[in-house]
Amino acid sequence: MSDFQDTMGDRGGRGPRRPSKFSKFGARGRAPVIPEEPLDYKNLGYLARFLTAQGKIYSRKRTGFSGQDQRKLALAVKNARFLGLLPFVGRV
Amino acid sequence: MERNRLYECMLLLDNREVKKDWEGLKKDVTAKFTKHGVEILSARRWEERRLAYPIQRQKRGTYVLVYFKGATKSANSIRRELELHEPVLRYLMLSAEEVPASAYEPEAAFDPNKIPADDYVESPSREPRVPEPAVVPDAGEATRAAGNGEAQG
Repeated sequence: MSDFQDTMGDRGGRGPRRPSKFSKFGARGRAPVIPEEPLDYKNLGYLARFLTAQGKIYSRKRTGFSGQDQRKLALAVKNARFLGLLPFVGRV
Repeated sequence: MERNRLYECMLLLDNREVKKDWEGLKKDVTAKFTKHGVEILSARRWEERRLAYPIQRQKRGTYVLVYFKGATKSANSIRRELELHEPVLRYLMLSAEEVPASAYEPEAAFDPNKIPADDYVESPSREPRVPEPAVVPDAGEATRAAGNGEAQG
């Protein structure tokens, strides 16, 4: 069996592959950050904590949120922007 | 079968209309909802605040938060109605899980006359245009140009 086949399929009884040591989101096995307050478009003070000075949303790497919470954050910020509660660009 | 859902609707109202007749405007807006047979659970002023960017040349606006229960069809009719209602600058209608307790609290006193006056952005296109003075080359420039011509020649 070639090395390529070994990594792609049967690992020859070595068990499941461990997560990469060099994960995109920090060390392996780290739990995602849980939001302290609801990620709602009306909760402006909390949302502003996840925005840069120009009003851009921080990346998952920076917020540490799970994918689900990061999407909630993005939607809340976008709804708040639409209503004129947060800027699209400019000082928060 | 029509299914009743709980919705929340945030409305951004034009402060010019709010200053004219706040109570009348609120009644007018809630009537847009009740007209389509939905049950309003709460309709209260959320905040009067500065906008993050001007909307229809307004720098400030009054937000009203409405919670209502109704059929999906009615919600769509209300959306259409709000689109056409001029005092509503923006609205956002979302389905809600539950009505928060704060929605049932009595509304704080609100005096529309105390809204700061700096809430209007003058549109630059509306200012009378001043015709630019015609560019007439002065005598000095003309001689300089002639001098350059000679130097090059």
